[in-house]
Amino acid sequence: MSDQGIKSRPSYQPIAPDPAGRHHLMVVDGAEVPPEALAEGVTPSAFEVWTVARRSAVPGVPMMEEAAGAVRTFRSTPHLFSALEERLARETMGLRFYAVGPEPFLWDAYGIGERAGLSRQEMGFAHVGPKARRIFCVHCREVMEKVTTSIVTCTGCGAALFVRDHFSRRLAAFMGVQIDAEVPGEVPAAEELYR
Amino acid sequence: MTLQFKPAETFRDTFTYRKSPEDILRFPFPFPEDEYMYSVNIEPHVRGGPTAAFRATFDIDEHYIAECRERERVLKEDPKRCQVLPHMMAAEWDTLELIMESMAADYPEHFSLAKAGDLWTWVNRPLGIQQSFTFGKVETLPCPPFEYITRQAQGDFTLQDQRDDNLYVDGGMVTTQADWSLEFDIGMSFHEWHGPVPLAHEKGVFDRALKYLLRLQYGQPVRRLNWTMTINPRLDTSPENYPVWGPDKASVTPENVAEKAHLRVELQTLFRLPRSGAILFGIRCYLTSVADIAKVPKWRRRLHRVLRDLHPDIASYKGLPRFRPMVLDYLAPLDDGAPTSKGIAPDTDVLGG
Amino acid sequence: MTAGEPLHVRVREIEELAPSLKRFSFEPAHGGQFPTPPAGGHVMLTLRDGARVMKNAYSLVTPPTERTRYDIIVRLVAQSRGGSSFLHRSVVPGDVLEMANPISLFSLAATARKHLLVGGGIGITPLLSFLPELKARGARFELHQLATGEEAPVFERLLAPYAAAEEIRVHSGGRAAFDLAGLLARQPLGTHLYVCGPHSLMDAVTGTAAGLGWPKGKIHKESFGGDVSGLPFRAVLKKSGIEVEVGETQSLLEAIEAAGVAAPCLCRGGACGECATPVIEGEADHRDDFLSAEEKASGKLIMTCVSRARGPRLVLDL
Repeated sequence: MSDQGIKSRPSYQPIAPDPAGRHHLMVVDGAEVPPEALAEGVTPSAFEVWTVARRSAVPGVPMMEEAAGAVRTFRSTPHLFSALEERLARETMGLRFYAVGPEPFLWDAYGIGERAGLSRQEMGFAHVGPKARRIFCVHCREVMEKVTTSIVTCTGCGAALFVRDHFSRRLAAFMGVQIDAEVPGEVPAAEELYR
Repeated sequence: MTLQFKPAETFRDTFTYRKSPEDILRFPFPFPEDEYMYSVNIEPHVRGGPTAAFRATFDIDEHYIAECRERERVLKEDPKRCQVLPHMMAAEWDTLELIMESMAADYPEHFSLAKAGDLWTWVNRPLGIQQSFTFGKVETLPCPPFEYITRQAQGDFTLQDQRDDNLYVDGGMVTTQADWSLEFDIGMSFHEWHGPVPLAHEKGVFDRALKYLLRLQYGQPVRRLNWTMTINPRLDTSPENYPVWGPDKASVTPENVAEKAHLRVELQTLFRLPRSGAILFGIRCYLTSVADIAKVPKWRRRLHRVLRDLHPDIASYKGLPRFRPMVLDYLAPLDDGAPTSKGIAPDTDVLGG
Repeated sequence: MTAGEPLHVRVREIEELAPSLKRFSFEPAHGGQFPTPPAGGHVMLTLRDGARVMKNAYSLVTPPTERTRYDIIVRLVAQSRGGSSFLHRSVVPGDVLEMANPISLFSLAATARKHLLVGGGIGITPLLSFLPELKARGARFELHQLATGEEAPVFERLLAPYAAAEEIRVHSGGRAAFDLAGLLARQPLGTHLYVCGPHSLMDAVTGTAAGLGWPKGKIHKESFGGDVSGLPFRAVLKKSGIEVEVGETQSLLEAIEAAGVAAPCLCRGGACGECATPVIEGEADHRDDFLSAEEKASGKLIMTCVSRARGPRLVLDL
């Protein structure tokens, strides 16, 4: 059972600031912008960059600059996302928004952007880092993080799930479907595919 | 037309669903030729044509009451089989207006709609419903308008928002689907929700279909037929419930294949809506067993040939491999090789052997 | 494409709003109801002035709840092809006209968090059809109508039923007094822009928005379509042995069918390939989505339902 090569799978490119945009805000799931996330000739100074330090002792900055070249550091991803919602609520037309990191981070960021009124034309995504997948079990709606294998046991309902390439941007997850629904027990060996 | 409803029919467990002879003959057989490949087989949705299923805007048949009851069961078990994203409320009212007005016009013996300004009264005699409400005010209906009216129609429906030169499936009533999940797919763009379909992408079918639908005009609905096969006359073949219906597929034997294997046809209709500019996509599902198909000489010959020569990727995607050989073994002796006419009409008024 | 059987409408009332602005109100000529008028919709009116036949598009200004009346507002244009002149001077209540079913190519964005409407002169008409729908949705919106001094009071009167607080403003100071860039720059994320009016206004507004970083999908201009319309030409059907004249607003397929030839077709929208017809002579103006770039360049086939001729004549193997 395979649908590898499915056409709905997102494809990612290195990011260059959209020349039509007025201001460029980039969020990174890491301490700095990885060079492979940027297109040839593009430097982080073209963006206002938000990073995640994964440290509690992140000093406050007395005056927050909201301009290209500024860097703002957060304790964790949830910390960044809560500030992001507030920032986008204040923003005006002409903004371009970019996210860099593993796939679930990108599409969680997309959800915040979409709820704030941004369309896909105003957002860009670069997948950098682990290829492990967030899986949504279509039978019981359980969500599992960091899945690296082609078949995984659902932690909600116990089904042996085939990890499909069919991806929902809204759920920021790939679909898991029971692989032995027709003849229970007929489960092929899992392969380590998504590292 | 006098319809004899069969309100107690079941589409699960006991599977008491049966088709009367008239019902078999009005089945929208999906193959106009002896072989099948994906294409943009869209035509204007006008009343009439080679099958009685095309006679009304939204077709009602003898299974109407039973299908509405089955839908009610599915929704009770899983309310998320009907969802509409919040920005689609204008499209919900558009849908209610379109379905109510069409059904009242096409089946005045069963449905009526009276309006006094924005105070509407809807009567659905088969389901015993009389409902007065204020058009545009959600609180005057027992549930939101899209859910309210699609609970009283046969077949699934989706609402597609048109934006950024694309279509997004932003709502749906999906209880009779051939294996796709509304909860998973809601919000997807045209190419995304069609992602899993093999071959069609390379042939450019979806690029052309999308361009065509973006230009779909108000007042000029279109339709096409899609098909697959289902074991048992089961309407709910959702991915959610695959653990429940999956074993059906392995239960087919050469002895029971003609009764169990069903040709499942979707009459897909597409309407541009006035207030929202969205597209309503109707997916009306019809099921006929291979045994019943075999009672129409042209259809049994053609079905045999289509299945025999079907591209393996398509057969695989439509979930046929487990039982296709058994269906072919049943149909082959019934195909004398005689020529069949173009088009989908049964070419007979009576069922034969 | 023309939408099925045309409507026959009777002129119910003509109201002069200003010396060069008239509102025409139509009712179904044979009783019954009109289809729900689509938001941002327009109709093609067939106007017969003696031997001359004109087909002009007009925005419907009727709210979606109104099914027994279709209203349009027509400005008398000095150098018009005759349509507005004919309507202003020759049409009277009781006249029956042919009207195509309404369509809309100018919809309200469902996901917009705010709608910014900008109109110039008679461009207010599609915006007027948006207002009842915006109110029904409880949507956030702002409307700016640019008007000449003498028309400003007319537009204020037309907009009055929908104006609340500062949501609607009529500007009579001309474009120079209107801070377009400032208006566009301060809009929150998720605002959609809709503009209708003279081409120079639409170009200025959409150009300024694009320059300020508004994405394409959030900038909307009124269009009356006309995909299948173009210069008239002659089609020679070699096999049938007849010649047809293809009119400006008529498709090649429609002209062939009107001549009694049953040409193949299916979707009537340039997508399915059914109507592909070999071209023997002449150059096709391809407007379909079926033929590949190479096929279009080779010029050997034409999709009769949407494509036209690049010159005065086409010879088809039909």
